Amino acid sequence: MKTIEILRIDSLNRSPLIVEGYLFEGSDPTAPSVAIVGAMEGETILPLYTASKLVDFLRHSLDDESKIVGNILVIPSVNHYALNINQRFWPLDKTDINTMFPGYGEGETTQRIAKKLFDALQGYTHGIILETREGISTCIPYIKLFESGYEDLKSAKKFGYRLIHHKSLRPTDTVSLQYNWQLWGTKAYSIICPSDTNIDLNTSNEVFDGIVNFLSKNKIIQYKVLSGYESTIVKNRDIEIIKTSKSGIFIPTKKIGTTIKKDEMIGKVIHALEGKVTHRIFSPCDGLIACAYKNGLIFENAVAFRVIKSG
Amino acid sequence: MQITEIFSSQLPVGEKLTIKKGRFEPKERKPDTKRISIVSGTHGDELEGQYVIYLLSKWLNENPDTISGIVDLYPAVNALGIDTITRGFPIYEVDLNRAFPGSKHDYLPGQLVHALAEDVKGSDIAIDIHSSNIFLKEIPQIRINKEFSPSTLPLAKKLNCDFIWIHDAVTVLEATFSHTMNEMGTKTLVVEMGVGMTLTQVYGKQLLSGILNLMKSEGIISTDEEFEQREPFSSEVGDVFYINSPSAGLFVQSITHCAIIKKGDVIGTIVDPLSGKIHDTLYAPSGGILFTLREFPVVYEGSLIARIFGESHENN
Repeated sequence: MKTIEILRIDSLNRSPLIVEGYLFEGSDPTAPSVAIVGAMEGETILPLYTASKLVDFLRHSLDDESKIVGNILVIPSVNHYALNINQRFWPLDKTDINTMFPGYGEGETTQRIAKKLFDALQGYTHGIILETREGISTCIPYIKLFESGYEDLKSAKKFGYRLIHHKSLRPTDTVSLQYNWQLWGTKAYSIICPSDTNIDLNTSNEVFDGIVNFLSKNKIIQYKVLSGYESTIVKNRDIEIIKTSKSGIFIPTKKIGTTIKKDEMIGKVIHALEGKVTHRIFSPCDGLIACAYKNGLIFENAVAFRVIKSG
Repeated sequence: MQITEIFSSQLPVGEKLTIKKGRFEPKERKPDTKRISIVSGTHGDELEGQYVIYLLSKWLNENPDTISGIVDLYPAVNALGIDTITRGFPIYEVDLNRAFPGSKHDYLPGQLVHALAEDVKGSDIAIDIHSSNIFLKEIPQIRINKEFSPSTLPLAKKLNCDFIWIHDAVTVLEATFSHTMNEMGTKTLVVEMGVGMTLTQVYGKQLLSGILNLMKSEGIISTDEEFEQREPFSSEVGDVFYINSPSAGLFVQSITHCAIIKKGDVIGTIVDPLSGKIHDTLYAPSGGILFTLREFPVVYEGSLIARIFGESHENN
C-alpha cells in the first residue's frame, strides 16, 4: 500500500488540509480498477467510517497481497476541515465540494479542491462515492444512479443492496462527481448511506459488505463473500412521498427498512406545547420505508417518509 | 397596498413561517395592464434588495395616482434565513436559488420556491435583487443569460446600473429563479449589488431610480418625473478578468472599490499576521473597471479577490 497526497490547501490559522489516498496496487495490471471517495462533506460519518474500515480491511484482512488483483484507491476524507467542526460544507464559504465538478484549477477554493481530486480519480474502471442524502432525512443504504445515459445498472446490482434509485437528472446534478466521473469514462456509483451521526454497526456492515461484494464480483479482489440482495431498481414513480399535515414533535413508529401494509400507522406528530397527538401518519400503500425524516421537530408539509411501493 | 401570504408553514413550536407579497395596482385594470414583480431575500444574508423594495414601496405609497400597472413586491423569500443570518434555508441548508422550479411534492424548500414561481408566473417583468454575499462587494450590475438576452437586454439598460454582464448558459443555473421565470415567459433580470449583511444606501437609491425608469417606460407608472438612466458598461464589448488569491492569509485592500484601474495597479496584499510578512501582492491583470472587490479578509488559495471588466484584447 502506498499513501499518496491528493491535494493540500493552506489555511490562515488551521493546519494545512492534506487529503491523502491509500493506493493498493493490484497483482494484475489488466484487471479492472476502482477508486472510492469517502466524506466530501462534514456530518458524513458513515462514509468516513466505511472508507477507513476498507483501508484497514485491504491492509490486514486479505491473507495474501496477491488477492488484490486490480488497483484500488481509497480516499476516506476530502473535507477534514468540515468534519472537525461538525459542519456540512466547506467551512468558509459553505460551498458543497460535490457541486464543483469537474473542478477548475484557476477558480475558487472548492473548485480547486474538486479539480485536484478529479485529476487523481481519472483512469479507474469503477468509481464509488460514499454520500448521505441531502435534506433532513436518513435512509437504508442504496445506490443512486443518475439517468445520464452513461450509467451501468447491471454493474450496480453487484453491490447487492436492496435498492438502486435510478434517478432523473436535475440541473444541479450536472456538477456532481458521479455525473462528471461517468462523463469522463469511469463507471461511477453513489452509495447513499444513512446520515446518522453515530455508528450503527449493523448498518455500517451492510454498507461495507456491499463494497466488498462489488470488489469481489468484479474480480478486483479475491475474497469469498455471501451474496447480498437481488437489487430492485426504483424510479421516481415507484416512490410514495408521505408528508405531515401538521408540524410539531415527530415520532416515527416504524423504522426505515421496515416492510409495511397500506393503512398501517407509521408515525405521529405531537403538539410541541400541549403534548396531544395532532396527526397520525398512515401509509397509503404497501411497501418498504426507504427514507424517513430524522429530526425530532418537523415542519408542516415536510416529507416524513419515502416508501417504495410494492404490490 | 394589499398584503397577502403566498406560502405558509406552521413551524414545530408556536411560530408560523410566512412568505408575504405586497401588491400595488391601478384603480382600473385594463386587458393590457402590465405586471412587474420585484423579488429579494432569496439568500438570507442579502439585504440590499429589502432596502430597495422599501424605497419603492414608499415611493408608490407617496405617488398612488401614478400607478397604472400591477407592482408585486416579495422582499423576503427566505424569511427564516434573513431573520437568522442564514444564507440558505435554515436546517435544510439549501440554496433556494438552486432549488427552482420545485414542486408541491418536493421537500419544504422546494415547496416554497414552487409557490413563489407560481405566484410570479404571469408577470411581464421580474427583477431578482441579490447582494453578492458577505465576501464580495459588487457595483450595481445586471446578470443576463445569453439565451434570454434578446428580450431582457433592452430592459436591463433602463435599470440605471453600471454594468451588464451577459453570461453563457450553464446547466446548473437552470435551477435559478431567473431561468425558471424566463422559461415561463416572464422577462426576468438579476441585479447584483453591494455586499451581504449590510445596506449600501447609495446603491439602493440608484437602483430605485432604475426600477422607476423601467416601470415608466413600460407604462406601469405614469408620471412626468424623470429618472436617472446611466449608460452601463456591457460585457459584450470586453472581457471579465478574475483575480483569485494565490495563498491563504488576510487580504488587505489597496484600492477603492469601483475604481477605474490600470494594468499593473496593486489591488491588495495577502499578509500573515503572525510573521508580519506579505505572502503575495496582487496586481491588476488588465486595465478597466474594478466591479467586484473582496470585503471579507480571510482567504484561502482560490478565494475570489476581485473582478475587472477590461478590454477584450487583453486576455487573462
